[in-house]
Amino acid sequence: MIRISDVSKSYGELLAVDRLSFAIQKGEIFGLLGPNGAGKSTAIAITCGLLVPDRGEVQVNGHRPVSKAAKRQIGLAPQSLAMYEDLTGLDNLHFFGSLYGLEKPLLEERIQWVLEFSGLTDRAKDRVETYSGGMQRRLNLAISLLHDPEYLLLDEPTVGVDPQSRNKLFDCVLALKARGKTIIYTTHYMEEAQRLCDRVGIIDHGRLLALGTVDELIGEHGGDGEISVTTAEQTIVKTTGRPIADMKALLDAHDDIRDLKLIRPSLESVFLNLTGRQLRD
Amino acid sequence: MNILLSMVKKDFKLIFRDKMTVFFTFIFPILFAAFFGSIFSGGSDNNQLSVAVADLDRTADSEAFVQRLIDSDELAVDVMEEPAARNAVRRGSKVAYILIPAGFGEKYGSLFTGGTPELTIGVDPSRQAESGILQGSLMKLGVERFENALSDNQQLSAQLDQSIAAIEQSDDMPEQWKSLLGDYLPQIKALTEQDAADNSTDNPDGATTGMAGAFTPLALNFEDVAIQRDGPQNGYAVTIPQAMYWAIMGVVMGFGVSLVQENTFGTMTRLVTAPITRTQILGGKSLGCFIALCMVSGALFLIANQVFSVPIDAPLKLVLAIASVGVGFVGIMMFLAAIGKTERGVSGLGWGVMMIFAMFGGAMIPLFVMPGWMKTVSHLSPVKWSILAFEGATWRNFSYSELILPCGIMLVLGITCFIIGSRTLKLEN
Repeated sequence: MIRISDVSKSYGELLAVDRLSFAIQKGEIFGLLGPNGAGKSTAIAITCGLLVPDRGEVQVNGHRPVSKAAKRQIGLAPQSLAMYEDLTGLDNLHFFGSLYGLEKPLLEERIQWVLEFSGLTDRAKDRVETYSGGMQRRLNLAISLLHDPEYLLLDEPTVGVDPQSRNKLFDCVLALKARGKTIIYTTHYMEEAQRLCDRVGIIDHGRLLALGTVDELIGEHGGDGEISVTTAEQTIVKTTGRPIADMKALLDAHDDIRDLKLIRPSLESVFLNLTGRQLRD
Repeated sequence: MNILLSMVKKDFKLIFRDKMTVFFTFIFPILFAAFFGSIFSGGSDNNQLSVAVADLDRTADSEAFVQRLIDSDELAVDVMEEPAARNAVRRGSKVAYILIPAGFGEKYGSLFTGGTPELTIGVDPSRQAESGILQGSLMKLGVERFENALSDNQQLSAQLDQSIAAIEQSDDMPEQWKSLLGDYLPQIKALTEQDAADNSTDNPDGATTGMAGAFTPLALNFEDVAIQRDGPQNGYAVTIPQAMYWAIMGVVMGFGVSLVQENTFGTMTRLVTAPITRTQILGGKSLGCFIALCMVSGALFLIANQVFSVPIDAPLKLVLAIASVGVGFVGIMMFLAAIGKTERGVSGLGWGVMMIFAMFGGAMIPLFVMPGWMKTVSHLSPVKWSILAFEGATWRNFSYSELILPCGIMLVLGITCFIIGSRTLKLEN
């Protein structure tokens, strides 16, 4: 389990993370959502030992993140692609794998596995600079999996990729969950979090605003749903907190209904309700 | 250790995939050495020559001659003992030594007695161009004294007339001296007039020869320093260590930039989050830089030896020099990376600093053509000490104790810069 307890971190006068506390259970996909500059990447950096918090502490299976024991249990796929573009994919995998002290046969086995897992076997011997954005993202993920970590920190892993590559990455994440991995997933794409995450934490200005399953958050912070009924003469749209009851009432009132829709509040509604609609630069 | 070697292997792959770095590290230094080597094999300059003078005669006349040397516009003179003078040239701090042997003053001060005053000269073999300049400067000094009296038979005859008259009128000269010179000088005058007559017959233009040849202002006995000390066989032996700096600079800049690029590429994030220490991260980069420096230096010396016939008689000394220079510049690389912080910062700062080191250290302009103040400043440049270490290990034939100074300076500099740089460098961005 990863436990984050009362963690704060400032950059000069900017309070990036403010008394953040939550725990991530084994085997779940935990989504950390927030607008730009909310403190997601700082929280990830503290969790994997890149940054030391000003206060509070993080424990990875009881170890401090800067310890070697914790580092061996964490795989990080940073938001910015972290690889050598002048080297081949295979060179990158060999190098980063060697940092974890894997014996050569095991390293070769892991390299073959991550290449197949990420769909890069055919391009392994090509230079990374010749890869598409999606392939580079997959290699970024593959490198973080080399040492078979228990926890995987994916910091905005789908930024700048096409729908096909994004879909492939979703499949990879779900496959990793199926293999028992615990995944911390930061994004500001709500549909990704809604599709992938078991639990979601919404963070803004460094503070945790809400935490729960997607349904729990929608029920608590999603606001009213919307029903739409189209008859022969008109389309009736109604925002309501009691969509089932109101839908039933409309069905009873009209006998010429051609179409009906029930639009539930989404995670995006939750997000906007919690973080506001003001632009973030 | 496997982690360090992995980092070295990775950095080497990156460097060899950068064509510009490969060019400036391997190709450019060879072109530099070849070009300037050919030039310095026959070059010349018009600057003051730095010479060491040892007065073994220690007479008033020899001291007067030394003073004339000091007053000369062409020479920058340091008076020292003979061994120190020889050593100064061998170590490259002086272009030449001038030994004033015992008996010089007597010959120099006596116009009509004794033989031609002799000087023993030893010129730095790498500075053959200055040999002629030095010879000309010395002869000029000698000629200045004699030119009016001895360069022309008529003037010589007049000089002798004056001398004979002065002797005859002298009251305080011992009688036996008066008698001797009274016999001797008229005979010389007769010989001079006879010579002039012969010359006018043989040489209607009246050009003077004969006695002028007998009165050679100075006899310069050149000692072939190269033969005595296994000096460089050609100018390439001098330009290869200079060219080496350009290769070193390429490696230092390549690794300095690559260190901060780890942040730019985001790969430092992976290094820091891997179960390795900061020491291993910096050690891997430094080891790579050190090995690259040694490989480049070794390869260039091998080419120098095989292609340009630069002798390498003491390989172990060369290994010591290469290693210490390597340590020195690894430290400088770390320092530049720490101060520069970004690729542009390291590149701008690095090239600026390294070019200044090159200018003042003798990698661009040979030390011997520099004015005195620049030579003094050159002591502050690691380039000067690295070149001296390389030269000392090759054609200057330094002993191990003599190599301690340049090698020790590079080691101390490197370790100091490494400590400061590695402590200042911020890995996490």
